[in-house]
Amino acid sequence: MITTNLLYALGTLAIWLGWYMLFRGVWFGFQLFTGPATTRDANRRAMLTSVALAALGLALGWLLPPMRETSTEGVWRLPIVWFVMPFTAWGAVVALLMVGVRFVQAAQALNGREALGKHKAAGIWLLVAIGFSVLYFREPANTIAVLKGGIPFGINTAVVTLLLLVAGVGAMAFAARSTATRGFAKGIVVQAALIAGSFVFGLPFAYLLITSFKEDRDMSSPEGIIWVPRVTERVDYFDPRQPMYEASLNGQMVEGVIIEELDADRVKIDIYRPLSIRGVTMDTLRSELKEVPRKAEVVTANADGTSIRGIVIEDFEDGRKKVKIQQPAELKDQERIIPAGETEPVRHIGLNVRNYPESLSYLPPETQFGLVYLKNTLLLVVLSIIGTLFSSSIVSYAFSRMRFPGRGPLFSLMLATMMLPGAVTLLPQFLIFRSLGWIDTLYPLWVPAFFGSAFNIFLLRQFFMNIPMELEDAAKIDGCSYLRTFWSIMLPQIKPALAVIFIWTFMGAWNNFMGPLIYINSPENMPLSYALQLFASDRGGEPGYLMAFATLTMVPVLAIFFFFQRYFIEGVALSGLGGR
Amino acid sequence: MRRCRPVLVGFLAVALSVLAGAQGAGQNQPAAERTDLVVWGIGLGPDSKGTDAALREFERRNPDIRVKTLTMGAGAMDPQKLMTSIVGNVAPDVISQDRFTVSDWASRGAFLPLDELMQRDQDDPLNPRSDQYYDATWIEASYGGKVYAIPSSADNRVLYWNRAIFKLKAKELRAAGLDPDRAPQTWTELLAYSRVLTEFNKDGTLKRAGFMPNFGNSWLYMFAFMMNAEFMSADGRTCTLNSPEAQKALQFMVDGYEIVGGYDKAKSFESGFLGRENDAFIIGKVAMKIDGDWILSGLARYGPQIDLGASPPPVPDDRFHQRGAFANEPNKWVTWFGGFSYAIPRGARNPEAAWRFIKFMSSTEGRLIDFDAQREWDRRQGRTLIPRVSASEEYNEAVLKRFNYADKKFADALGMHIEMGTFGKGRPPTVVAQTLWNEHVKAMEAALYKNKTPEQALATGQAAVQRDLDAYFQKDRYPELDLGVPVRIGILLALLGLAAAVVWFLRQQLGRLERTEAKWAYLFIAPWVIGFLVFTLGPMVASLFFSFTQWDVLNEARWVGGKNYADLATTDRAIMLKAFGNAAYLAGVGVPLGLATGLLVALLLNAAARGMRVYRTMFYMPAIVPGIASAVLWTWVLTPDPNKGLINAFWRETISPWLGVSPPGWIQSADWAKPALVLMGVWGAGSGMILWLAGLKGVPTSLYEASSIDGATPWRQFWSVTFPQLSSIVFFNTVMGFIGAMQEFDRMYVMRPSKDGPVGPDDAMLTPVYRLFQDAFSFFKMGSASAIAWIIFAIIVILTAIQFKLAPKWVHYEADR
Repeated sequence: MITTNLLYALGTLAIWLGWYMLFRGVWFGFQLFTGPATTRDANRRAMLTSVALAALGLALGWLLPPMRETSTEGVWRLPIVWFVMPFTAWGAVVALLMVGVRFVQAAQALNGREALGKHKAAGIWLLVAIGFSVLYFREPANTIAVLKGGIPFGINTAVVTLLLLVAGVGAMAFAARSTATRGFAKGIVVQAALIAGSFVFGLPFAYLLITSFKEDRDMSSPEGIIWVPRVTERVDYFDPRQPMYEASLNGQMVEGVIIEELDADRVKIDIYRPLSIRGVTMDTLRSELKEVPRKAEVVTANADGTSIRGIVIEDFEDGRKKVKIQQPAELKDQERIIPAGETEPVRHIGLNVRNYPESLSYLPPETQFGLVYLKNTLLLVVLSIIGTLFSSSIVSYAFSRMRFPGRGPLFSLMLATMMLPGAVTLLPQFLIFRSLGWIDTLYPLWVPAFFGSAFNIFLLRQFFMNIPMELEDAAKIDGCSYLRTFWSIMLPQIKPALAVIFIWTFMGAWNNFMGPLIYINSPENMPLSYALQLFASDRGGEPGYLMAFATLTMVPVLAIFFFFQRYFIEGVALSGLGGR
Repeated sequence: MRRCRPVLVGFLAVALSVLAGAQGAGQNQPAAERTDLVVWGIGLGPDSKGTDAALREFERRNPDIRVKTLTMGAGAMDPQKLMTSIVGNVAPDVISQDRFTVSDWASRGAFLPLDELMQRDQDDPLNPRSDQYYDATWIEASYGGKVYAIPSSADNRVLYWNRAIFKLKAKELRAAGLDPDRAPQTWTELLAYSRVLTEFNKDGTLKRAGFMPNFGNSWLYMFAFMMNAEFMSADGRTCTLNSPEAQKALQFMVDGYEIVGGYDKAKSFESGFLGRENDAFIIGKVAMKIDGDWILSGLARYGPQIDLGASPPPVPDDRFHQRGAFANEPNKWVTWFGGFSYAIPRGARNPEAAWRFIKFMSSTEGRLIDFDAQREWDRRQGRTLIPRVSASEEYNEAVLKRFNYADKKFADALGMHIEMGTFGKGRPPTVVAQTLWNEHVKAMEAALYKNKTPEQALATGQAAVQRDLDAYFQKDRYPELDLGVPVRIGILLALLGLAAAVVWFLRQQLGRLERTEAKWAYLFIAPWVIGFLVFTLGPMVASLFFSFTQWDVLNEARWVGGKNYADLATTDRAIMLKAFGNAAYLAGVGVPLGLATGLLVALLLNAAARGMRVYRTMFYMPAIVPGIASAVLWTWVLTPDPNKGLINAFWRETISPWLGVSPPGWIQSADWAKPALVLMGVWGAGSGMILWLAGLKGVPTSLYEASSIDGATPWRQFWSVTFPQLSSIVFFNTVMGFIGAMQEFDRMYVMRPSKDGPVGPDDAMLTPVYRLFQDAFSFFKMGSASAIAWIIFAIIVILTAIQFKLAPKWVHYEADR
C-alpha cells in the first residue's frame, strides 16, 4: 500500500518535471533560431538535455503501474497528489526541508564562519524537526493519508492547451530576441499573475457585493454560484381584497393591512413595514389611513393549456397562487388559481437594491434605521481621534524636546507598558467604569483615548527628535511659551505622523468590538460594529440583508482608505509589523 | 496633507451633520410620560400576534407602562450580556430566562426573590400560585426555598419520524427484519433503522440521514436520562457527569453518528439545511429526529402533507425489556423537558412594574389572551394553531378545551408530548447549571469528534464542574476580604508616591529656567501620567491582586492564594493548552503563509512596470475591512453547503473531481475551523505585502547589480540575496503573531457556530483571551480571569525578552538596508 502511494507520488513528480522540461526544451529550441549564433551550441545542448529529461520523466510517470491504474479511457490526466497529515507532520517536513536548505547554503558559503553559522542553523532546524516528529509519534491516532488524483482533460482540450502553451513559450522566446522587446514577455507574465491575484483577492468582496444585490431564490444553487443577480419584476397593485395602508405610529410612518374592524371609525392594523416591528398591531382611525399600493410579482404560468403572464394577487398557504392575467389580451383581468410550483416569476438581470432599505428597516425602531449606530460610531471615532492626537502629541513633545528630572525612567516605564496586553487591565477597568456609573454609555470607549497611548507617543517621539533644534530655539528667543511652541512650531512639523495616527485611531475606533460588547446594552448606544454582530446573529439566515448591512458598515472605511491611501501604507511601514 | 485637506474637512463636516441630525431626530420623539419596561428575551415577528396582543392588553391595563422588548441573545444561552448588565447596574426589568439556569443566577444573588411580592398580592387573581404549575417546573424556578422566577413554557421531546420514508424503504426495512409501520423502540432498533434509511451521494456526502443523535434537540441529557444517569449527587455538592451510565449514553451517540458517516460529515450535511418549506425533516433529508413540541406549528404550516409519526424516544434495550439494571424500573419511557421563565434581575429599575408584567403574562388570563389572539390570527391565515405545552397546568387544561383537533397526525403528536410529560425529567437545579450545560456540550462534542473517549471527555467536564461547585460550597474555607481596604491602601500609596515625587523634585538642583521648563513638561506629560496611574498601573495591581482571590463582583471576595493558578494548571490544563495551541497554530501556520503570500505579491509588484498603485490597492484592501464585517463576510464565503458557500462551490468544481475529496465543513468542523481562520488571515495579509515592498526597495541595489554582473539569474538572486533575509523576519513576525493570536477575540466571537458551550467545534476557535472573556464576563470569575491575564502577560514578557536577546542577529540585516 505504502509503495503504491509512494510510486504514485514519484510518478506525479516525474510527470510534472517532465512537462516542465518539455517546455524548457521548447524554449531553447526556439532560441536556436532566434538567439545569437554565439550561444547556439549551448542552446542546442540545453534543448537536447531538456527533451531527454522530459521524455524520461513522462515515460516514467506514464509507465509506473499505479499511474496507469487510475487513468480512464479517453481522458488525459495531469496527476496530482496530496498528503493528508496532521500539522505536526507538516512541521517536521518543513523543518527537514530547511535543514537541507541550510546545508546547501553552507556548502556555498564564502568562508568558514558563514558555513559554521549555516550549520548551526541547520542543527536548530533539525531539532525542530525532531520535536515535531516526537509530537507526531506521541499521538497514536496520527496517520498520513495519500490522496491520489488528477486534473482530467478531454483529449481535444488537452491538445489545444498544449499547443497554446507551446505557442506561448515560443512567443516569449521570440520576444526575448531583441533588447527592445525583451521586457514584454516578463511584463505580460507578471501582469497576468497580478491580475489573477487581484481577482482572487477581490473575489470575496465581489461575492459580498453581489450577494447583497441578490434575491433570496438566488442564494443557493446546485449549478454553482450565481454571479449575475436578477430581479423579479414587480408592479404596483392596489389590492381590493386586502388593501395596504399607510399610517402613523408614534410619529413613525408604517404600512400595514386592516385585520379587524373595531367599530365604525376605528380599525386594527397589522404592521408589515418597517420590518423591525413587523407583526405588531395598532389601533387607528380609519380617516387617518391612506391607501398605498403593494408590489405584486409578475409571473408566467400555464393555465388550461394557454401560457399566460400576470401578477400574483394572493399567495395561499399551500403554495397555490392566485394570478390576475395581463396577457394574452383576451384573458386580461381574469383571475386564475395556479397550483404550487407551476408559476415562473418574470425576472430580468438587475440589482435587487431593495435589500439595502429592507435590511435597515429590520433594525430596532429607536435606532432611526441605523442612523443612531452611525452617530455613535462617528462620535467614538471623532472623540477618539481628537483625544489621541492631542494627548499623544503633547506628551511626546515633552518627552522628546523638554528636559526635566525623571525623564529617562518615566520614558522607559512608558515603553514597558507597550508590552502589557489589554487583557490584564480589562477587568479592573470595567470595575472602574462601573463605579463611575458608565456602563451602557459611550464614555468607557473614548475617554481613555485622552490619556495618550504608549505606542503613539513613542512613534511621534521619533519624528520630534528629527526636527532641528534651531527652530525651537528661534521660537524661544521670540518669547514663545512652551504651549505656543508646541502648537505653532512643532506640531505642523509632524503632520505626516499625525496623519498616520489619525488613520490608526480611526480604524481602531471604527472596528472596536470587544468594548461595545462589554459596555453597551441598549440599541441607542450601540456602535456599528456591535450592531452588525447582533444583526448577523439575528438575521444570519437572510444573507441578502446581512451582506447589505455589512457593506454599509464598511463603505465609510473603504472611502477613507481610498482618499488617504498613502497614510495607510506609511502606517504599515512605520509599525513594522505585518503578516497578520 | 495639503491635497487631502478638503477631503478631511468634508469628512468632518459630514460627521458633524450626521451627529447633529441624529441628535435632532432623537429629540423629535414625543416626551415619554410612561415608564419604559425593558424586557429581554422576547422577540416579536410577523406571526407573534399572540405575544403582541398580550403585550398590548398589558399596556392597556397599565397605561403608565410602555413595554420595550429586545431579543438581545440574552435569556437563552449566552449569559454574558445579562451578567454584565446586572453587574453594571443597567439590568433589564424582566428577563425571559431558560429555567434550568435560574438556580445558578439566584445563588449569586443576580435575581430578585419573588416570595414577598407573591405574599403581598395574595388577593390579586393574576398572582401566580404554585398549585397552578407542574411541581418540577416550580422547583426548577426556585432556589434555597425561595421562588426566583415564574415558569412560562414546558417542553419535552419525542421521536418524530417520517412515515413516507419508512414506506419508501419498506422492502429494505423488512429485509433487515424491521417493521416499516412503526418507529424503533430500543436503541438497537434505532440504529438498525438508521442504517437502512441512511443514504449517501456518490461523492460521499450524505443524501439522507436516518437518525442523527443530536439533530433536533436531544443532547447527551436525553440518552443519559434514559440510562438513569444522575448528573449531580443528591446534596447538589458533587458532580457525577462522568458516571458509567452517561458514558454508555455518550457511546451510543458516537455509534449513532458512525452510521451517518461520523459527526463531521453530519455537521457538514446539517449546515446545508434550510428552513420553512425546505426544512430537512419535511423534505425527507432526515428520517427520524428527537425534537420538542415547538416544531409542530412549523410542520403543520410548512409541511401539512408530511406523513408524520410521533413516538416515545427509543430507550436502551434493557430498559425496554425491563431487565438487567432496569429490572425494577417502573418507567419504561423517558424524556426530558426544559422551558423558560420570567425573572426580575437585581438592579432592575422598575421592579414593581416588572412584577405586574410577570403576573399578567404568566396568569392563565394573560396566557389565554395570547392563545386566543394567536389562534384567531392563524385561523384567518388558514392555519391551525397547535398550542404549546406550558408550565401551568391550569392553562394547559383551559387551552386544550379550546383546541379543536384539526389533523389527526398533529393532534397525535401533541398527545404524545402530553403523554410523555409524565416521564419527563428535568436538568438538575444546581448553582453551576450553566457550567454543567456548557461542559456537557463540550464533552459530547469531544467524544463525537473522537478526540477523546466518552470517559475521558466526561471526566474532563466533570472536573471543571466540580471545581466550580467546590468554589461555591467551600468558599467559607477561604478568608473573606474587604476590597475597600486594598483600594484605600492603593490610593494612599499613590498619594504618598506623588508627594515623594514632589519632594524629590523640589530637592533637585535646578536653575530658574530649568525649573520652569520642568514644570511645563510635567504639565504636558500629565495626561499620560494620570492615564498610566488610573488605567494601567492601578488596574495592573488590582488584577494581580484579583488573581489570588475568588470574586464574582456581586458577592464578597475571598482570598484563595495561588488556587486560581493551580486550577489553570490542573483542572483547566487541557483547555488552556488547547487555547494556547490554537494561538500557536494561527501564528505558526498563518503568519508564514501570510508572509509568503505577501512576499509573492510584493515580488510581482516589484517586477511590474506599471499598474503598481492599482494592484497595491487591490491587495491591500482586504486588510482594512472592519474586523466584524470581514468575519461576517467570511462566515458566508465559508458556508459548507457548496450550493451557497463560495469556497466550497469552487471546491466542488475542482478538488472534488480531481482528488475525490468532498468539500470540508470549514468553521462547522473541528478539523477545518483553524485552517478556515488561517485562510481568512491570508486574505487580509496585505500589510505583509506592504512591508515586503518597503523591504525589497530597501535591499541595496548594489547587491543585485553585483550579483547580476556575476551572471546570477533572477531565481539565483532571489535565492542568494533575498531569501537569506527571510527566516529571521518570519521568525520575528511569527512570535509577534503569536502574541497577537493569544489576544484574538472578535472574529472568533462572530464566527463561532454556536453561542454556548465550546468556542467553535470542539473549542477549535478558543484563544486565551476568549477564555478570559468567558471567565470574566459570562461567569464573573474575576480571580480566574485575572490569572489568565497574568499568564498571558508573563508569556509576552518572556517572548519579548527572547526577541530582544536575539535582536542583534537581525540587526545586521537592518543595518544592511
